[in-house]
Parts: sequence; C-alpha cells; structure tokens
Amino acid sequence: MERAIQVENLSKLYSLGKVGTGSFRQDIKRWWVSQILKKEDPFFTEAKSNQQLSTDFIWALRDVSFDVKQGEVFGIIGRNGAGKSTLLKILSKVISPTEGIIKGRGRINSLLEIGTGFHDELSGRENIYLNGHFLGMTYHEIKRKFDEIVDFSGVERFIDTPVKRYSSGMYVRLAFAVAAHLEPDILIIDEVLAVGDAEFQKKCLGKMHEVSTKQGRTILFVSHNMQAISNLCNRAMFLNRGQVADIGPVEKVVNTYLSGIQKLKASHSWNTKEVAPGNEFIRIKSVELIPHLKNPTDPIDIRTPLTIKFQFWNLKNINLCVGLQVCAQSGECIFDVSSPAYDFSEGVIEGQCEIAGNFLNDGSYYISLIFVKDTSVELFNLEECLSIDVEDFRENINWYGKWPGYVRPKFPFELRQKVT
Amino acid sequence: MKTWDWSIVPESSWFNWNLKELWEYRHLLVRLIRRDFLVHHQQTLLGPMWIVYQPIITLITYVFIFEKAVGLSTDGVPSYLFYFSGIIVWNLFSESFIGTAFTFTQNAQLFEKVYFPRMIIPFSVVATHLIRFGIQLILFALLLAFFIFTKDFEVYPVRWLPALLTTLILAPGLGMGLGLIFSLLTAKYRDLVNVIHLGVRLLMFATPVIYPLSIVSSDIQAIVLFNPLTPVFEFFRYAFLGNGMFSYLQLLYSLVSMIVLIVFGSMLFNKFGSKLQDVL
Repeated sequence: MERAIQVENLSKLYSLGKVGTGSFRQDIKRWWVSQILKKEDPFFTEAKSNQQLSTDFIWALRDVSFDVKQGEVFGIIGRNGAGKSTLLKILSKVISPTEGIIKGRGRINSLLEIGTGFHDELSGRENIYLNGHFLGMTYHEIKRKFDEIVDFSGVERFIDTPVKRYSSGMYVRLAFAVAAHLEPDILIIDEVLAVGDAEFQKKCLGKMHEVSTKQGRTILFVSHNMQAISNLCNRAMFLNRGQVADIGPVEKVVNTYLSGIQKLKASHSWNTKEVAPGNEFIRIKSVELIPHLKNPTDPIDIRTPLTIKFQFWNLKNINLCVGLQVCAQSGECIFDVSSPAYDFSEGVIEGQCEIAGNFLNDGSYYISLIFVKDTSVELFNLEECLSIDVEDFRENINWYGKWPGYVRPKFPFELRQKVT
Repeated sequence: MKTWDWSIVPESSWFNWNLKELWEYRHLLVRLIRRDFLVHHQQTLLGPMWIVYQPIITLITYVFIFEKAVGLSTDGVPSYLFYFSGIIVWNLFSESFIGTAFTFTQNAQLFEKVYFPRMIIPFSVVATHLIRFGIQLILFALLLAFFIFTKDFEVYPVRWLPALLTTLILAPGLGMGLGLIFSLLTAKYRDLVNVIHLGVRLLMFATPVIYPLSIVSSDIQAIVLFNPLTPVFEFFRYAFLGNGMFSYLQLLYSLVSMIVLIVFGSMLFNKFGSKLQDVL
C-alpha cells in the first residue's frame, strides 16, 4: 500500500527560555560562524555531542523515523513530555524541525486546532468561515458544507449569535463540527475525545470511523487512553524521551508501553543513616510501593490495590505519627491519611498503608510521607518519594473520554425498572 | 509510485516567497479584514463611526494647538485641509507599520496552533487600513468640496489620480516594509514594544505632517528629506491643496526605499518567522 507520510530522522532541538542564544552578541557570533564562515553552528554541535546537554537546550525529538500507509489509523503513544506534541506540531507545520525531513501526500489537518481563530464577538456563522479558512478550507468547500456543519454541531438556532453567548458545550461542538468536515487526506487527532459530552463523543468516534474506513483517509491518533488506541488503530508507535521506543502492530506496542511504565522507581532504600534523607529526628531507611497484581507484568490499573511500606530510623524518644499524602500531577492534594500516634524509643520503625483498589482514578500520582511529633509538629516531609501511574480500565463502556475526577470509587449503585 | 506532494525540511530559505500558496489563502485574507471591521465596530461605543471621529477629533486638536496656540504656518493652505490631509496619510502609514510590527506578538496563540502563510497577517493589516483610509478620504473630499464651494479654493483635479496612487502605494508600503523588520525584533526582544510606540511618535515630527517642508530651515531640511515619507506628504498636498515641495527624484527615492524595505523585510520574515515558535 502507498505511504501517506514518511518521516526520516526527525529531530527537534528546543532552546529553553529565549530564541537563539538569548544575547544579541552571541546571536551575531553564531550567525557569523555558521552563515558567513560556513562552519557548523557552534551551539548546535555543542548541544549534539554533549549528551548531558546544557540546561538551555533540550532534544524534544531525536532521530525519529516512521511511515504511515494510506488509509491506516496510526497510534502515537507516550508519557507526557515524550515528544508527541512536538511531532504533531512539526507535522502540522507550526514549528520546523531541526533535522530530518518529512514527506507526504495530500492535505494534512489536525484536530488539535479545534476552535482556532474563533473570535468571541463574531457570530457562529462568521466563525465557521474564519475557522475553516484558518484550517485551510476554501470558500466553496465551506459554503458547500455549511449546512452540514451547522447540523452536526446542533446550534442552528444560535448561528447568528456571537459565540461569546454560547455555552462551553455549544462552543466546542461548533468548533469540532468545522474540524470534522475538513476532509483532509491525513487527519491528526490529539485527545479530542476528552471534550464534550458522551453523546457528542460517540458522534466524534463515529465520524472518525467513517473517515478512516469509508473514505480511506489516513489518521494519526494520539492518546493516553490505551483502550481507545487498541480499539481504533492498526499500528502504533511508542515515543519515549523523544525517541522511538517501539513501533509495529498496536497490541505489541501497547504492551511495551504498559510494561515500560512498571519500571518506574517504585522503591527507595538507604543503607546508612548518614546518607539517608531526614534530619536530627528522623532518617528514612526505605520506602516501597507494592501493587497487588495477579500477574507481575500486568499494569497497575484502577482496580489494583496498593501497599506503601516504609522503614525509618527514629533518633529520639518521642511521640510520633506518620501522614501519607497522595497528590495529583498538578500538585493538588487528593487525600491525606494519618497513622495512629505512639510513643517510640530510638531504633528502626516500620509502617505500611493500604490504598484500596477501585479508588484512584487513572492518572499519575505522587506520594509524600510526613513525620509528625505530638500529632501537631511536622518533623520531616519526604516529598514525592514515590510515583504511580494508574492505567484506565473499563468494561462494557462504549465511551473513551477521560473519566473525570481524581478518585473513582466503586460505590454501590443500583438501578432497576420499577414494577408498576 | 507517485511522488510526494509536500515535504517539511529544517531550513526555510531567504527567498521562499510562496506566492501560489499566498493566493490559495486569499479567502482567509478577506475574512481577516472582515473580522477586523466587524469586531472593531461591535466593541466600540461609537461603532463604525469611530473611523471618522478619530481623525476629526485629532484635526480639531491640531487646529487649536498648532494653528491657534503655536501659530505654525500651513503654507497658505486652509489649516483644516492642511492638517486633515496630514492626519489621514500619517494614519495610513503609522497604523500599517504598527500593525505589521506586532504580527508575531499579537497572533502568538494562533501561530502556535495552525499553519498558514504568516504573510497573510501583514497583508490583512495593510488592507484594513487602506479601507479605513478610503473612508477617511471621503471625509477629506467633503471638506475639500466645502472649501471649493464656499471659499473659492482653487483645485487641480488632473494631479489627483497620480498623487492618490502614489500615496496608496508608498505610505502603507513603507509602513509594511519597516513593520516586517520590526515584527521579528518585537517577537524576540519584547521590550521593543514601547520603543516602537515612542519611535512612531518621534518619526511623526521628522515628517511634514503638522508643518510644511517649506518652513523647515535649510540646515535641518536634509534630515527631513532623508525621510522617505516626506515626498509622499508633500506630493499629496501639492496635488490636493496646491502647495508642496517635492521632486520626482525624491519620489523615486521613496519608491526605492519602499522596495528595499519590503524585499529585505520579507526575506527576514520568511527566514526567521518559522523559528520564533522554538521557545519553551
């Protein structure tokens, strides 16, 4: 089958903070050396040879090569910061690569741009045209599909109202409706399934299926949701720290991704008090996260019960209790549980805390341990000593959007037909 | 196997003026102009009339300050006509310049998300201000008509067309060319924003906007003549108001300056415009 996109040795170097070197003098020097003397850019080669890269540069992508066949649904997975968005931005020509080349056939559009260029003061009608043009549609194309777009969005009655009066749902629906009618040859979808209500998501997924199967278009699909990836894609690529970690049939790549996650640091230990973190009251001996899995290679998902075990040296005779805090990636504390307080004498003390299965929602979490004297004075805070990635798991649910909330408890929930 | 339709490569060239692509995006250009008018008029208190009020209020201020208070000469031309012509031509230049110079700073969010030829933005800015100039020109025509019929003001209609064309090309052209160069500088060194506003204000005094070139003493006339905007204003006034100092050589100098600025500006714009997004 013919290839729709071919990516060869794509690399992207970002400079942190400022464009160029940040100083006018350095910029001039760099320009002189690389453009006039025709030598290699001194800053560029320096950054490349030097793996530990000065803090000013970061390789967002490194020698990424892959190709996507025509009519294929190609998944791209990877943790946050793996370079997925950089790749998509290069593909949509928003940024240019540092090295490498991408070749392709046909129009490429991305659903990461939904609502781009929407202006609050303008009516829905005006915005459909404006947004359509920003996305590369021609006037006739938009005119031809106008009714269809309005119909799909379900905002007929408000089409001449400024979009600032729209509810957020209406706004998103209108924005998506334009994007969904683009008919590009290659479509990039980045987590759009996270927007809108369930009914709307169903519509979007339906549209995606229709686009890929009936119309034979190529789709690049980026998501954190492994189930959605597995269900929708033929092939996938796993990006890790800007490099291709795995590429191939979707089941294989998803497995690599999920088992890779397990290799996260789930335990720490220190041999002597001197090197251990702590202070004159407390020194940490070990902390460990133990997931209770049927099969050790399974990923931690929302059903998995977790045990946190820890040991520490107590250096004074005091009354102690330990608090365990679980925070979301945003830094927000989700909950804080405390052990009972006891009078302890010097020596090693061990403790453990259980987090039940079917409690945390999918996502990344950090665990901190806080040591407290007399149930009131904080002695030491072992901040973010453990991290967990909880994967999603769903049964009999035809919805692939991000499940909202930090916790996802399985409370008893009954529903039945009332007999009349 | 078919050949590829497009490719994305690291370097953008100096001369990558993809005019065909620009043409393909012409509808976006039209929409952007339309957006600017719609938004501007829905947001302001006075609505669409603002385009007209702004120069009128400026005109009254100038007449009071420069004519009545300072007693600046207007070369024997009725002061209202003199200042109004200066104001509208200056607006055309300065707004084109400022609008273009902030291309990247004002559209940063948009540029992060979608690709379209970035040159569309400066073109839409210039087109918007050309239309505004057109509206203000009607006002100028009314004012001129008033002086013709009530004060027997002498006019030379045969000069109108060449002067109008010259102004319509040179004023926004110089503004855009200069703006293209500054657009990259403002994107890179954000503190230049204030410098630009100050610079525009100072440049106005080095341009015969509120004074005729004829009253400038010969020692500093060279400075004013070095400014390629000078012949544009003088020619406009010569054609419409009958008084102005310019030569065809000076107009040629302005034209060459404009071409140099636009070519150089576009080269920089195309070459470095795509690199501006590489900041984290």
